[in-house]
Amino acid sequence: MLENTLKKLAATDPKKMITYPLIVFLVAVLILAVHFPNLGIDLGGGVAITIYGVDASASEVEVFLKQNNFDVTARAIIDPTGKTKIEIRAPLDTDPLEIMSILRSEYPNAEMHPVKVGAAISKTAQHQGLKAVILAFIGMAIIVFIFFRDPIPSLTVVFSALSDMTIALALMSIFGLELRQATIAALLLLIGYSVDSNILLTTKLLRRKEDTIEDAYFSAVSTGFTMSTTTLGALASLWLLSQAEVIDMIASVLIFGLLADFMNTWILNAGVLRWYIYRGEKK
Amino acid sequence: MNWKKVLLKTKVIFLILTVVVSLTLIRGFTIGDTVVGGLSYGTDISGGVEITVVLEENNTVLLEEVKNSLEERLNILGVKDIKLEPWGNNTIKISVARVSDKEVDNIINTITRQGVFYAEFNGVIFATGEDIKRVDQVGYDASKSAWIVPFSISKEAAEKFAQLALGKVGYPVDIFLDPPVNSVLIVSQDVYAVMVMINEFQFVPDAKSLPQRLKEAFNIDVIAYGNQTAEEIAKLAEGKEKVILIGINGNLESQLRNFGIKVEKREPRAGEAIDEFIRRIIGLYGPYKLQEGLTTGEPRTELAISIGGTRQDVFAIEQAKIVRTVLESGSLPVKVSLEGVNYISPTLGEQFKKQVVQAGMMALIMVGVIVYFHYRRAKIAIPVVLTSLSEVLAILGFAALIRWDLDLPSIAGIIALIGTSVDQQIVITDELLGGVKREKITKRSGILKRMGRAFFVIWASATTTIIAMLFLFWYFIGGLRGFAFSTIVGTITGILITRPAYAEIAKILLAEER
Repeated sequence: MLENTLKKLAATDPKKMITYPLIVFLVAVLILAVHFPNLGIDLGGGVAITIYGVDASASEVEVFLKQNNFDVTARAIIDPTGKTKIEIRAPLDTDPLEIMSILRSEYPNAEMHPVKVGAAISKTAQHQGLKAVILAFIGMAIIVFIFFRDPIPSLTVVFSALSDMTIALALMSIFGLELRQATIAALLLLIGYSVDSNILLTTKLLRRKEDTIEDAYFSAVSTGFTMSTTTLGALASLWLLSQAEVIDMIASVLIFGLLADFMNTWILNAGVLRWYIYRGEKK
Repeated sequence: MNWKKVLLKTKVIFLILTVVVSLTLIRGFTIGDTVVGGLSYGTDISGGVEITVVLEENNTVLLEEVKNSLEERLNILGVKDIKLEPWGNNTIKISVARVSDKEVDNIINTITRQGVFYAEFNGVIFATGEDIKRVDQVGYDASKSAWIVPFSISKEAAEKFAQLALGKVGYPVDIFLDPPVNSVLIVSQDVYAVMVMINEFQFVPDAKSLPQRLKEAFNIDVIAYGNQTAEEIAKLAEGKEKVILIGINGNLESQLRNFGIKVEKREPRAGEAIDEFIRRIIGLYGPYKLQEGLTTGEPRTELAISIGGTRQDVFAIEQAKIVRTVLESGSLPVKVSLEGVNYISPTLGEQFKKQVVQAGMMALIMVGVIVYFHYRRAKIAIPVVLTSLSEVLAILGFAALIRWDLDLPSIAGIIALIGTSVDQQIVITDELLGGVKREKITKRSGILKRMGRAFFVIWASATTTIIAMLFLFWYFIGGLRGFAFSTIVGTITGILITRPAYAEIAKILLAEER
């Protein structure tokens, strides 16, 4: 079945091939314009306490804390293994340790993870994050140009990486994941992943002169498909087995980006390259 | 299978050596007295707390001073495994490993106190932090049922006190630590009543009341709140550093903020008596009733701070220890505020570690299974998994060598790397195998060219990954440096050691099929 789909893809008009990923990219940009992912605590500041192993619902905990004069909101997070944790958010001037000591008196068996991030630190982290992303992106673009020395394939690789990151961000917004330091790290790692598969495709199509374009494309897709599934496998294990928030976030963002990369490499980039090669042949 | 041929390749020998060295480093060993290697973990795994404090001033000289005094304080408090890291020109990150959440409370209380000390009598300050000469060990006084922190003051201060106290039996003596100097306290009616009327704060009728003493010694105005408008209060706050709202609800806080006034709000803790609440807010120890022996005009240099409580009262003991620590280390040269707390209990950290180790193993197994199904050959799947495993070991070995604290993001980075590592081995394998349906290595002359292509892909993606992660490593101080670190180390190990070795192994194994 997969092979048939691929054959169809390989036979599609390159311009059509390019359209779909571009539409997805634009939709992602629109989603981000309407609703950019919320800033997580380490970038937006605030107080958060995650409670593990408590026999109460999120609303019970919220009511209990409100009775004790704490202005909090609580929500339950259920992970894939069925375990639940409750996350409490409170304004910045709250002392997380006081909330903890009150919770401890009511739920003695609960494990708690309090985090407080002040405005000064979260601001700095925002700046650093933005700087790191922009510089990493420029650095990536320069490296790609140095490796290919050919503007159109290079631009496509750079655009694919941009689109991967944008779509991953849009999916974060849809699934309600917050933008945090950890997710920024994952977005940066996506640059590496994205370049990986795109360079594979580009080298195969442009440098492998012994095969036809279709053969080269098939061989690249077959390799690329295995690559993505193994990486998805590794990330899925991480996401499934860990309860730590940082890990879940990194894993989900990488999974989103990898799925986007699949489309951007094998449809968008392949389309651009085929069009580019045909055009070269006509000349 | 020709194992001998595989094992004799230089690149494979190099890989095996790397693994052996890494394993030795991960285990750790001692040469003489120095420990080499061994894995160490960040606070999010070993359990512990990360505290970020920010100085009120941007000054790198002060930053160093504050860092040193905080370190001294934590040492006096008896906390082990502390790391203090200055950051920028006004921030210090403090991480303390393996502490309980109750200890975290004490640590935070100790480090956020500025530690400015005043001894005051009837509205006159007679000793400050500079007059403290020696602080003794905390002890319990059963007759007063209180924990005592004894200390001695300079002769000059003692003489000043002797003059002031002459003949004033029963007058209150106050000791303050970090009082809110030059401010306005807006207190609720019941708090005001306690401050003025109750004998807790005043012993003889003609002695000055607590609000009077605060006014004269520290320029602190205490005002009972009886629905004054925000405007009236703003007028009172002119020239003062800040307004502190004590036990007052409603929207007065935001109204005063609109006037551009610095406002702080304080609420009693659950179960806290009003007089305890007042003491906590103004940093008061005492008042102590002046005994007859001290009113003779004879200077006495020995003083003490007492904290009421039973012998078993954990809270009182901790308080006494904190006071002792703060007195002994002196006051901080600038105010610090608590900007960040991140605490993980040791059991939770242990649980996280177990989960990520399981995730890592499962990732390797899944990768192996997927590779096996793709090629239908254990001959490829097994070397792929083993090569990735050796890459993981190499990262861990390097982390052990430089004593890098592995935290959760570092480990996530390692597992994500298993994905990249396998990706690149698949690129190599597929190039060796040729087209989709071709199962054997094609002409020998083509191999170099194919390997060249595979390694072009590998080098290009490795370079971009390293570039992207270097920016992360440079620009962040937080946990993400761990993620960047493991990714960079893993990628470098990959291009220099594991990928070339795998290429050699794959060439031999797949060539046999011809």
